[in-house]
Amino acid sequence: MNKTEEKEYSFSKKSEDRFKELEKKFPQRSSLVLWTLHLVQEDIGYISKPAIEYVAKRVGVSKSWVEGVCTFYSMYNKKPVGKYHLQVCHNVSCWLNGSDKLEETIKEKLNIEHGETTKDGLFTFTHVECLASCGTSPVVQVNNDYHEKMDPQKLEELIEKLKAEV
Amino acid sequence: MSSLEKRILLKDWGKNNCHTIEVYEEEGGYTALKKVLIDEKDKWTSENIIEEVKISGLRGRGGAGFPTGLKWSFIPKDTDKPKYLICNADEGEPGTFKDRVLLEDLPHGFIEGMIIAGIALGSKQGYIYLRGEFYKPWQRVEEAIKDAYNKGYLGDNILGTKHSFHLTTYRGAGAYICGEETALIESLEGKRGHPRLKPPFPAVEGLYKCPTVVNNVETYAAIPHIIINGGKWYANLGQGSEKSGGTKLFSISGHINKPGVYELPMGLPLIDIIEKVTGGIKGDKKLKAVIPGGSSTPILTAQEAKKAIMDYEGMAEAGTFLGSGAVIVLDETTDMVELAYRVAYFYDHESCGQCTPCREGTRWVKNILKRFKDRIGSADDLDTLCDFSEYMSNGATICPFGDAVKMAVIPIVKKFREEFEARIDKTEKVHEKISIGDR
Ligand SMILES: Cc1cc2nc3c(=O)[nH]c(=O)nc-3n(C[C@H](O)[C@H](O)[C@H](O)COP(=O)(O)O)c2cc1C
Ligand code: FES
Repeated sequence: MNKTEEKEYSFSKKSEDRFKELEKKFPQRSSLVLWTLHLVQEDIGYISKPAIEYVAKRVGVSKSWVEGVCTFYSMYNKKPVGKYHLQVCHNVSCWLNGSDKLEETIKEKLNIEHGETTKDGLFTFTHVECLASCGTSPVVQVNNDYHEKMDPQKLEELIEKLKAEV
Repeated sequence: MSSLEKRILLKDWGKNNCHTIEVYEEEGGYTALKKVLIDEKDKWTSENIIEEVKISGLRGRGGAGFPTGLKWSFIPKDTDKPKYLICNADEGEPGTFKDRVLLEDLPHGFIEGMIIAGIALGSKQGYIYLRGEFYKPWQRVEEAIKDAYNKGYLGDNILGTKHSFHLTTYRGAGAYICGEETALIESLEGKRGHPRLKPPFPAVEGLYKCPTVVNNVETYAAIPHIIINGGKWYANLGQGSEKSGGTKLFSISGHINKPGVYELPMGLPLIDIIEKVTGGIKGDKKLKAVIPGGSSTPILTAQEAKKAIMDYEGMAEAGTFLGSGAVIVLDETTDMVELAYRVAYFYDHESCGQCTPCREGTRWVKNILKRFKDRIGSADDLDTLCDFSEYMSNGATICPFGDAVKMAVIPIVKKFREEFEARIDKTEKVHEKISIGDR
């Protein structure tokens, strides 16, 4: 998407309510930056330029502060991602238990590499670091949910199920 | 359940609805808090609570193993500033997944521990910092906090007394370094997670420049049991060195039959844990190596692992650390070059970028290992690797991340050197090698 085309952003009703609650909980407003970026991402799926300006204004810190935070933390999407964000853990325990095969499954089935999104905008694939689920590895996080003890077949079924839900 | 297991923190784990306040209360939950505030209120002065924790020998369960009672005693008593309590639920050390059990299935245990710590330290506000990926655990903790408020365990005038304590959750957003306590504090202040120079230590100048105690989830979860049964009882649960009291939650994963979280007394032989608790190596393979305390702790060969004792002292004797208690078991098929590369890839990805030796060094380490992975390493590479990892440790950086890289990677290279040497390209072919400085 061209940057100049990015839509203006303001909180959804839900995020506005949540923000007002959070404002009461921290003695210093800067603590709201991470929380607010989470709210933005829940609203529109990534952190757009107009959203950065909006967050800076609502929290009361500089735009570059918000930008700096946004780029530091890997969970904030800097560009739009698919409706389903498939995040495959490739750290040690998941690797020992076959996470490579899960990555291959995604690459073959959806024809995307790490960091890419399918043309229909449904799936984004990234490999990620240890998700604290090593005892039930390998694990794939899809949006907010963990899918544990995965194997290629289960992953294919999951992808089919997600496609069918659309 | 193996007879070696000793469930104290995990005693209610697996019961129906064990995450709810009803089940927690039914099983004796919040009685430690009532003891401290009401039933035995004269006995439990702030000094006595701290003293009992000292007697228990409880050491921080987040990785560094610092004595908890001692840490608490550093909080100044005569200050006008508010004091803050932080629960470190960032759980990022690769191989570790035990805090998740407490957050998701047994949240009231560590919440009760935090309230008691708040009373002991004169803190009225606590924050629980969860890694951003922990969405479901976060929801569970939020629900638990709400229930604890409704029952009067949290809020102003707890159980009708003059004590107040409030709890608020905070979600990280994907950065391993935010598990380091000063980076966590920066993050909680809404900034990039850059560790701070110490001193000043958080006990003196932490969150919002106020006295702050940071403890791991599991550390707080032990507190109610220490209050109810006594510090001495807790200390005696350990079977090894006297200095390592209590039980510890171990996250055990890798090539074993029954991976999972196990609560074990300190001081068991590592090999018994692998063979008797987790059902041994999968598929009749032989043990090759063990990473004993999370990916930042030096790896043990099978031979070393067979002699090792799982407590702080036993691990030190074996030349490694208990860390977060994350045991990763590797069988004979494990490719040690790939292992070293995966580990290095992680540190390269997670360096916060603040200190040059770590920011550049992690990338160099990864790039050299990539050459071995691609079978185009050279003999010099191994020496270069061991040499310059020295320059990113031993105080060259603000936090111990650089040291962690060295501890994680170099022992793999040194102890399994022949596997790396086998990947040296001995042909005269000129490769278009990635230079160590490349991204
Ligand atoms: C790079 C790095 C990462 C860390 N990650 C964690 C973590 O994920 N969870 C944790 O509890 N402690 C972590 N720690 C240790 C904390 O800095 C701190 O020692 C701990 O939270 C103190 O609590 P405890 O004394 O109860 O263990 C980490 C330390 C370093 C240097
Ligand atoms: S290694 Fe994948 S969850 Fe820990």
